[in-house]
Amino acid sequence: MKAWQIILSGVGGQGLMLSGNLLGSAATVYEGKKAAMTSAFGVETRGTFAKSDVIVSDSEIDFPEVLKADVVIALDMIAYKKYADSLGEGSLLIYDESFEHIDCKAKQSAFPIFKIAKDKGNPAAANIAALGILVKLTGLVSEEAVRSAIRDEFGTRERLVDLNLAVFEAALEAVK
Amino acid sequence: MKYMDYLRTELFPLFWCGGCGNGAVLGAIARSFETLGYTKENTVVVTGIGCWGKADDYVKTNAFHGTHGRAIAFATGIKLANPSLNVIALMGDGDGATIGGNHFIHGARRNVDITAVIVNNYNYGMTGGQLSGTTPENSKTTTSRYGHIEGAFDICKLAEAAGAPYVARATTDNPVVMQHLITDGLKKKSFAFIEAIAPCPTHFGRNNGMPDAVSLMNWVKDKSVSAQQAKTMSAESLEDKLITGKLVDKECEDYGTKYQKIVESLRVKEASS
Amino acid sequence: MKKDIVSFAMGNEAITEGALAAGARFYAGYPITPSSEVAEFSSIRLPKLGGMYIQMEDEIASIAAIIGASASGVKSFTATSGPGFSLMQENLGVAIMGEVPCVIINVMRSGPSTGLATKPAQGDVMQARWGTHGDHGIIALSPSTVQECFDFTVKAFNLSERYRTPVIILTDETVGHMREGYVRRELSPGEILNRKEPTCTPADYKPYNFEAEEDGIAPLAAYGSKYVFRINGSGHDESGDPCARPDNADKFIRHYTEKFIKNRKDIVEVKEFEMDDAEYAIIAYGCSVRGAKAAMKLARENGIKVGLLQLITIWPFADLEVLEICKKVKAVVVPEMNLGQILGEVIKVGQNYTKIAGVNRIDSQIITPYEILAKLEEVAK
Repeated sequence: MKAWQIILSGVGGQGLMLSGNLLGSAATVYEGKKAAMTSAFGVETRGTFAKSDVIVSDSEIDFPEVLKADVVIALDMIAYKKYADSLGEGSLLIYDESFEHIDCKAKQSAFPIFKIAKDKGNPAAANIAALGILVKLTGLVSEEAVRSAIRDEFGTRERLVDLNLAVFEAALEAVK
Repeated sequence: MKYMDYLRTELFPLFWCGGCGNGAVLGAIARSFETLGYTKENTVVVTGIGCWGKADDYVKTNAFHGTHGRAIAFATGIKLANPSLNVIALMGDGDGATIGGNHFIHGARRNVDITAVIVNNYNYGMTGGQLSGTTPENSKTTTSRYGHIEGAFDICKLAEAAGAPYVARATTDNPVVMQHLITDGLKKKSFAFIEAIAPCPTHFGRNNGMPDAVSLMNWVKDKSVSAQQAKTMSAESLEDKLITGKLVDKECEDYGTKYQKIVESLRVKEASS
Repeated sequence: MKKDIVSFAMGNEAITEGALAAGARFYAGYPITPSSEVAEFSSIRLPKLGGMYIQMEDEIASIAAIIGASASGVKSFTATSGPGFSLMQENLGVAIMGEVPCVIINVMRSGPSTGLATKPAQGDVMQARWGTHGDHGIIALSPSTVQECFDFTVKAFNLSERYRTPVIILTDETVGHMREGYVRRELSPGEILNRKEPTCTPADYKPYNFEAEEDGIAPLAAYGSKYVFRINGSGHDESGDPCARPDNADKFIRHYTEKFIKNRKDIVEVKEFEMDDAEYAIIAYGCSVRGAKAAMKLARENGIKVGLLQLITIWPFADLEVLEICKKVKAVVVPEMNLGQILGEVIKVGQNYTKIAGVNRIDSQIITPYEILAKLEEVAK
């Protein structure tokens, strides 16, 4: 497997670090792969640009930050605009279908990320919807590994396990 | 053990100046150890830096001689890591109430079961009589030649306001009372604070027209009012007075006991899951 | 059965787990970004293990409390970042002169002063070495991965116990906050070192009688044991009694340096990558190792034979290992997130043997492989 370089971007408070954490756990704990995640955010913890770099690979990961993104997920217009302006060819930019489209050099795909989460009962689970779309599009980790990571994360809080698994499944479905 | 058995008499005479009250306070502490049946093994004397910070040189118990102002912080770690120890922190006014003031108020608030004894000699004795946080306004020191223009801490009020469950003030002219107050402080399972008033004759006294022990003792006597007497006096007439005796003595569960309850509850939770 | 647990976790969490695995049961600290997770994890984990967690009023009190706890016989640690580490310097000296084992985690951030509080740097290398006044030796380890955060913290406690010294973990915001998969190993008893305890009669015990020991390290009793003793941060003799005799001062102050020189072989550790056929070398530590490894591979793809020396112990400095490399290669590149604190040490050792150049960033951004590669290409021209 190649080393996947992923950026999960949006604004603070959207749960991007949780998505990255689930992806990393799925890769390392359940599939014996290597993964590294670094995060950057403003001084405030909510409402300003935030991103997590996640790298998943079969071999040792040297540099832990993304140098050339394979996939960028943008969960906020600020993030979408930033990456539409800066990404080059060879990257894929995934954004929510409600954002106004911006032409750019990178390949782009719009998905109803927020709608999937809302339909399953909680728009705050858009981070999990984004994770489902990423996994389905790339296959960088198995779907079952992510399900296991979700169960670990929410543990005995069954309602949250069910909600997040439902959002994850719906997101997998949404990718044709 | 007899009180003299806690002291390294082979090092006598004490290095403190003639007329200094440190020896009397040290004697009162040793007598308290005897009263409470402390052993050398289960007792740790923690000191800071300064004249009174040399007190650990003369004790036969365990000792920890650290840095200026930090005795309470070292004592906190020593006690919490081994709650069966009797831990007493000895500091001067420059040490405990000036550079170490933050540890002092937080020690009082946090309520770890240690006893702190500050000998207040009203200046930095060891380094030549500079002003400290308890130097009275208008008095002269080697760094306030024209009169001290800052106010002074009342360390007992400070300890009380910070939440200390036990606060007492003693003077060296009454060593028996001092010993009782220290004994009660050591017995108390909480942060206990005793201020021992012992003005420095060599510097504070000489710089302020009281060059001998007798004139200093009279100065202290004139200022002293017992806690009982003070109750009958107006706030105005108590200004500049030293209220002596037991000033605070309240029940307040100590940090270690509260912490052990958390440890125990987690153990029960773990066992039932 | 030993239980090894794989988890995807933050460097700061792995440090905490490493400390607990090594037997630490006392934490005192003051929260500061980017080290606060060590305090938070410790506050959750320690009560469950019957250990003690306490938040102190400042970093001065924090290091004082862990030194006190260690004197009571409990392995102790604290965590901080640059500003807090500065406040700890005086009492770090107490641990050095009092010879009390303890571990200080410094998750370095951009400085001086408050600096850029949430951003990484490697600016405290010299503060760790010389921050406290007076002559002394010190041990500092610098992890570059989450696994190393765990492993090196265990090593830090072992060295601390073995040599009766404070040991510093110099990590940084990048490694402290980075998440990676790591194995939380359950250590076998043989992997955990404890301080040498006295075996003599209580009357004969002298806590600083290092000359009587083959390894130059005196046994350390605990308060509350049958041994009664004095820990002293002022000049003292073998018994811990104050002593101002010049010959005594000379003997003891030399001891604070010489005990590390004497045991250098056991303390100093480096890791080599691709050095066998290397014509150029990178010398790196902490987060800069990551970019350095990537740069080494890129350079080899471009036909430049590059090797890497990772400094696991920053202090004592691996002078012999660095010298050997300087004698062997055409040039050495030292990437670090400061203006050349280790570069200066490398120059001191190797300037007569090879060309030495730094790659330095102090703008809070970690050094990329391309920047190191560019420097390698420049020196290889």
